[in-house]
Amino acid sequence: MNVASRLPDTAAAALADRPATSAKPSFLGFGLGLRHQHYDEILNGNPPIDWFEVISENYMLPGGQPLRTLDRICERYPVVMHGVSMSIASTAPPNFEYLQALKDLARRVEPKWVSDHLCWTGVHGKNLHDLLPIPYTREALDHVVSRVQLVQDFLGRAIVLENVSTYVQFNNSEMTEWEFLSELSRRAGCWLLFDVNNVYVSAFNHGYDPMTFLNGIPADRVVQFHMAGHSHMGTHIIDTHDHPVCEDVWELYAAALKRFGRVSTMIERDDNIPPLDELLLEVARTREMAKKILPAGKQAG
Amino acid sequence: MSDFARQQVEFQRGILDGDETVLAEILDSPREKREVLFGVYRYAYGSRLVEAVRNDHELLHLYLGDEVFDEMGHAYVKARPSGHPNLRWFSQGLPEFLKSTVPYAEHTELSDLAALEKALNDAFDAAEGKVVELTDMAGFAPEAWSSLRFRPHPSAIRLDLATNAAAIWLALKNDEAPPEATGLEQPAHLLIWRQDVTPMFRELLAEEAMMWDEAANGIPFGVLCEMLATYDDPDSAAGRGAGYLHGWITAGLLTDVSVGS
Repeated sequence: MNVASRLPDTAAAALADRPATSAKPSFLGFGLGLRHQHYDEILNGNPPIDWFEVISENYMLPGGQPLRTLDRICERYPVVMHGVSMSIASTAPPNFEYLQALKDLARRVEPKWVSDHLCWTGVHGKNLHDLLPIPYTREALDHVVSRVQLVQDFLGRAIVLENVSTYVQFNNSEMTEWEFLSELSRRAGCWLLFDVNNVYVSAFNHGYDPMTFLNGIPADRVVQFHMAGHSHMGTHIIDTHDHPVCEDVWELYAAALKRFGRVSTMIERDDNIPPLDELLLEVARTREMAKKILPAGKQAG
Repeated sequence: MSDFARQQVEFQRGILDGDETVLAEILDSPREKREVLFGVYRYAYGSRLVEAVRNDHELLHLYLGDEVFDEMGHAYVKARPSGHPNLRWFSQGLPEFLKSTVPYAEHTELSDLAALEKALNDAFDAAEGKVVELTDMAGFAPEAWSSLRFRPHPSAIRLDLATNAAAIWLALKNDEAPPEATGLEQPAHLLIWRQDVTPMFRELLAEEAMMWDEAANGIPFGVLCEMLATYDDPDSAAGRGAGYLHGWITAGLLTDVSVGS
């Protein structure tokens, strides 16, 4: 299938740099990842959460309770859509059925932005349901830039991409991950979701200073922080999202606040889900640290 | 094929098939060998997909126990790699897999139990649909009733089971010891649907199941009653038909009733 023929403007398939001109999303405050275990508590209470991030795929469904609940959440809170299956760095053809479903959901949710990860999830018609790493080569960069442009044209909005936790590095990489992300954001016009925990995990796994990564990311491109927990295996760290945020990652968050300023921040917990109150303490800590570290009114970018 | 594409193919093969070609392009870390680090992806793949199957089939998991379920889950992952970007749909092929794969196929209640859980899952997030109320029926003139046609709610699913899997499901759901699995002389006719947000199922008499299936095919009420007359006492067929219809409407099983040729 001619990919470009599916798009309103065939120029979408062009490789030329064509940064999106969309305005930078505004600061939302301090949020939490929406999980079904907390539906009732959220809807029946009034928890001090500024916004929610929802996993897009959890709501790419025909109907029923998940979508009904999401509608109610959207009536009360700003919502951001965060996907795990865009597979933006895959060399397989784009999955337009997936993108259409994502676009349909975005029409319903009217999210403040739509994000996914700088990764791939499969080729040859298979989906491994994991955030797989890429080599940081010029070839990969050209490919991902064109793919981001295509997706942005299809969705009609600039997307936000997150750095993933990685466990391996490729010997043919020609640049660092932060150089790749910076270049991608500049050329494709996408925004960046800076996952503080993922930076910590990848830095440990590959033996570099997380501050080097942090300082290598352009401050004006970051629109969101993720904060999460992980599992330490001694020789490496696995990004499990099943623990509270550890002190080292809180320290890195403090550094991220100093570099990037006021950025929409959320606590991301995907497994071993604790009671809402426990996560609210972490949300409160993101808020308190920002208040303490940043001069009033300081805005990134 | 570009280097980037080739590398992704090899990386995927390394995860799915244990092929080690891609390791030649991966670096050791300062603290760990590449085989161990790549193994994180291999392990995560199997465990994540088995967990998805486990989440979708909690009672089958309870019935089989951790060890057998995990073994079965890994066999399913190996036999039916995911082709859909949404993990929600990964376990859809499980009933068919259990029906056609030894040793599970030798225990028919396993595929029946999986089919029932799948139907309940599918009803849970099925498309929304208007629900016909009893008061809606008052608008139809008596002479119109014989030509009434019915449209099932989008969540409604019919399932015929060859075993007592429904009784096993109920026992497990109530934290009771499940009955011994047995084959049935006549299949159990189940109707699964969503009432408000809750998936439900109930067993139908053979006659009601026939009427439901034909109604879902668009057969009008008058013809349905004639069919019922061939099943049992012809004199009470219309009354039985009206009774079944009343039950469907009060359960929220119909999304539309219309007069049509």
